[in-house]
Amino acid sequence: MVKIKYLFIAALIVILGIAMVTAVFPSEERRVKKQFRLLSEWVSKSTEENAFTMLQRMKDIGGLFDAHCELRVPDQSLSGSYTREEISTYAGSARSQASQLDLKFYDLQVVFPGKEVAKVTLTARLTGRSTAGERMDETRELECLLRRIEKKWLFTQIEVIEVLKK
Amino acid sequence: MEPTYHDGGVNFCWRFPYLFSQPKRHDVVAVRFAGSKVMLLKRVIALEGEQVEFRNGKLFVDGREIEEAYVRYPCHWNLSPRQVEKDCVYLVGDNRSMPMESHHFGQASKRRIMGVILW
Repeated sequence: MVKIKYLFIAALIVILGIAMVTAVFPSEERRVKKQFRLLSEWVSKSTEENAFTMLQRMKDIGGLFDAHCELRVPDQSLSGSYTREEISTYAGSARSQASQLDLKFYDLQVVFPGKEVAKVTLTARLTGRSTAGERMDETRELECLLRRIEKKWLFTQIEVIEVLKK
Repeated sequence: MEPTYHDGGVNFCWRFPYLFSQPKRHDVVAVRFAGSKVMLLKRVIALEGEQVEFRNGKLFVDGREIEEAYVRYPCHWNLSPRQVEKDCVYLVGDNRSMPMESHHFGQASKRRIMGVILW
């Protein structure tokens, strides 16, 4: 009986140890996914958001991008290289047109074509309401490239994949 | 896919039929994005190699008008003729009352079709 008790404690310690190591030293894949979690959190907007939070979010969003990021969004006429500041301003302007926003990412598949490069394919869904009260519901497949710069994974390219081609 | 299927409803997708046969015109299918968590429901209106167009809301395939009993709302779309590429099908929703620019439709690779909608 005593032996079983010690075995149980040892197993518990091992499990806790693995969990701690995973939390303290996350894999590169987890680090990449975290950037998407932050982007989702910072783009999303509640009806109670004040001006201070809005400005902070704009700054935070900009911090997720490389100094120059390539955007390929055909149906929004957003194509070309944009600076971090331009992206931050664009995000702020887009958010100000919505009273409530919810951005969610699904089915993230992360691959590492190079040591400092991550390629992520995913589905992005943006729902919410415009300030005029219109319902928004947009779903797109995205292909993103992130580059590791000074231990941070930053977005360097976002492309909308055309699932349905008119 | 209003009014045939309602937003936020629960639908069942059956993958089996497309293991042995190809999607047919008027089938309602589930189309995947990057994975299988988010899908669109769309109707197949034209098959690979066919020419599809809309004239004042009427569907024409290879120049012949196609009857669409499931389109219940008034539609005034005009879309110039275009050929469906190899290994693709042309997909449109049943709610054609909205402006064509706001409607998500077009040709998609057959590899994206997950199955037929049972109900």
